[in-house]
Order: sequence, then structure tokens, then C-alpha cells
Amino acid sequence: MSRREIAVTGIGVVTPAGVGTAETWRGIRAGVSAADHDPCLEGQPVSISCRVPGFDPVALLGGRKARRLDRFVQFAMVAAAEAVADAGLDPRKWDGARVGVVLGCADGGPGTVEEQFRVMLTSAPDQVSPMLLPMQLPNMLAGCVSTEMSARGPSMVVSTACASGATAIGVARDLLLLDRCDIVLTGGSEAMITPLVMAGFAQMGALSRRLDEPHLASRPFDIGRDGFVAGEGAGLLVLERKADARARGGRVHALVAGFGASADAYHVTAPHPEGAGLELAVRAALTDADLTGTDVDHVNAHGTSTPLGDVIESDVLHRILGDHPLVTSTKGVTGHMFGAAGAVEAALSVLAVEHAAVPPTANLTDLDPRVRMNISREVEYRPLQVALSTSLGFGGQNAALLVTAP
Amino acid sequence: MYDQLKQILASKFQIDPEHIAPSSRLSDLELDSLDIAELALVMEKELDAKVTDDELIETQQLDSIAELASRRQAA
Repeated sequence: MSRREIAVTGIGVVTPAGVGTAETWRGIRAGVSAADHDPCLEGQPVSISCRVPGFDPVALLGGRKARRLDRFVQFAMVAAAEAVADAGLDPRKWDGARVGVVLGCADGGPGTVEEQFRVMLTSAPDQVSPMLLPMQLPNMLAGCVSTEMSARGPSMVVSTACASGATAIGVARDLLLLDRCDIVLTGGSEAMITPLVMAGFAQMGALSRRLDEPHLASRPFDIGRDGFVAGEGAGLLVLERKADARARGGRVHALVAGFGASADAYHVTAPHPEGAGLELAVRAALTDADLTGTDVDHVNAHGTSTPLGDVIESDVLHRILGDHPLVTSTKGVTGHMFGAAGAVEAALSVLAVEHAAVPPTANLTDLDPRVRMNISREVEYRPLQVALSTSLGFGGQNAALLVTAP
Repeated sequence: MYDQLKQILASKFQIDPEHIAPSSRLSDLELDSLDIAELALVMEKELDAKVTDDELIETQQLDSIAELASRRQAA
């Protein structure tokens, strides 16, 4: 068996559709948007978001641990525990030096930064918490998961804005291909629904203003879309070489068969008008997997529900793949989870292939006529061999992952 | 004062009250240097007792820390 086949053996997710893979997958298939009014954003120009429902860090992690972790690390710790258990692995028994952690996030812990900045302004610098830095540094995402899991191999955070989670999975796969690790915990996590961050997004004009109907606000590819809805959460995968997984009797959900990364080298936030960077990433992933566009059955698109981005993306997909794949954007349900999005969507692509089910695109009622791809509206059951997940980040950074049946 | 200290350790630091006794040492409660720096801040704010983290690390035992805090409070 080839040592170049990289398997997904464990999945863990915390999303606005639910805590845990089963609950999330149920919510994603139901296609009901998680967007709602957000009391934490009271008084903001945009006060809707997709929160993780009922996330109780004290119950899930214990009070001692939870109080010292920013929300973005709490999400990842919960998802990591689920993923490792799902893989049937026991961190007390593995060779930790051969276990890596590669995670992605866009922003670290802005909630902690904003809270402590307020303490400094209203009180004094010597009242700022000593936990400020250990809680908010982006790299703590991987550092804390490594510590929790006794994973002493390479540990790092990659940051490509909203492509971070997908980029991390690509880098993790490379570590396995280079034989630097035997197991890598990878994915992304994000908790940046904070007043300051949301004010910034609102000022950019990036957010949906459908404030009276929050559940209809995230509507990828629909003619009535007007921007994205912020989400939060984490997606973690356990990657191993398929041969190693089979040898230990582990279950293989799917393979990560190809990865492509690129830069638009065009503009700080605007997508390239022809999607040239995204095209480069998708073609690189296909080459990496030794597949062609016609092999792709299903796409979990970046599809953020922005007027410009969704059309550019569908043009790129149409150019490379043709119009046969069934495309979904699960952001209709989850909103945009930023650095976690690519990882959660990779996990959903794995589940789609495994369960032969393409999730619906929530709120798609009137397809934008400029969108030339076949976009799912209801959950559709069909055998899937190859799924593509695309991710684009501010800074023009793109990532594409190909997931195949084992 | 000891009871107030115990209350802070239980609520703010999420330590099981059953594990907290007057003879407990900070190290027994698995408080690390970051926790202790934070404890000094909380004691200043909630007990109006200025005690440095170095003093807490040196003193260690909760009843002695409570005594120290009482003296500082009066000061």
C-alpha cells in the first residue's frame, strides 16, 4: 500500500449547527440557518451572527482549564478530543514525538484582547490579566492542543485568513508525506465575533444587513444575497498514512488526496476578478491528486454569500470542472467561520463522501442567473468518489483540498 | 479573611472547595505562576489587600496568606 495515501481517521467539530460531528451533520443536512440576533453585538451596526448553540466550556473542559483558554482554543480542545476519540487513538499510548499539530486561525483571541484593553482603559495597566498573552496569541491554538494531547512533534499555527483551516490541513498532509510525523491533528478554530472585529467587518461593507430576518441573511448563490454572516467554531481532523491506519485496525473515513495553495497577488481584500488565484489552487490540487476536473462529483464551495465572491467562484469552478458536480455552500447554515471554515468544510466534505450525501445550500430560493454551477437546494443522496473544498482568504490567499473515498 | 480567600479560589479559580483547607499550599492547589500573579490582582481588587505575587509564592500556606492580607488591608 502506498505511503502517499493520507487518510482522515478522526473527525471533531464544534459549529453553529451543533457541538460534535453527529449534531453538526444533522444540522447541516437539515439546511436551517443558525443565524440569529446576537446580544453581544447590541448597539453594533450589524448585530446578527451564527453562534455555537449551548457551548458550555466549563461542562466540556472543566472550570480550571476553561477559565484560562480563550474561546477559540476552547472550541479546538473540544473538537480535538472528539477527533482523537473518533480515530480510536489514545494519547497516553502513542509515541508523542511522532504526533504533530497543525491548526489554522485568522485572528487568535480578539475577545480576550478587547476585554483586557477595556480593563487597562477603565482601570490601570497594572490591572491587566497576566493571562492576556497566553490566552490571545494565535499559536496557543496548536500549543494548547499539543499539551493536552501529549503531542510533542511539530506544532504550529498557519494563518491565511479565511483559508487558514484548509491551508493547515494541506500543511499537515505534507508533514505526513515528508515522514516528519505519523499522526497529525489538524484543522482550524475561530472565535472572532467580538464588538471591535464586527465593527471592522461592518465598516468594510462585508456583512449582510438583513438584520430583521437573520435566519435568511446567509444565502450563498441566491440572487438576494448581500454579504456574509459571521460564524464561529472549530473543525479538527486526525490524519495518518492510510497504510498505518489500516495496520492498527483504524477506520478510514476518506482520503485527503490533493492540496493546492496559491496567492492572487492582486488586492488586500477584493477577489481577483477572474478568480485566477483560486483557479491556480484548484488545478494544483487536481494535479497533486492525479485527477481531472471531470472526476470531481461534489464541491463544498467557499460561497460566503457575498455579491461578488460567489459569482467569481462559480465561474472558476465551471471553467475547471464543467457543470456536472453538485455544489453546496454550507455557510448558509453556519455563516462564515473565518479560519475554521476551511477545516469544518473539509470535514463536511469527508462526511458527504462517506455518507453519499450532498448537503443543501440553506436559503437558496432564487439562484443568481450568473451562477452557472449546479447548486444543491435539498440534501441529495448519491455516491461520491471525489469532493473538492475551496477556501479563499483576505490577502488573496487560496487553498483547495480534494477528498476521495477510501 | 481566610473564608474570603477560599471563596475567591473556588469561584474565580474554579478550585473544588473541598480541596481547600487553611493548611493548603498554593502548590497543592496546582496554581502556577500565572495563576498566582492573577491571584495577587484579584486580592487587591476584591480584598483591598496589596500582596505581591512573590510574597504569595514565598508564603504559600493559605492561613498565612490570609494573615498577610489582613495586615495589608489594615495598612
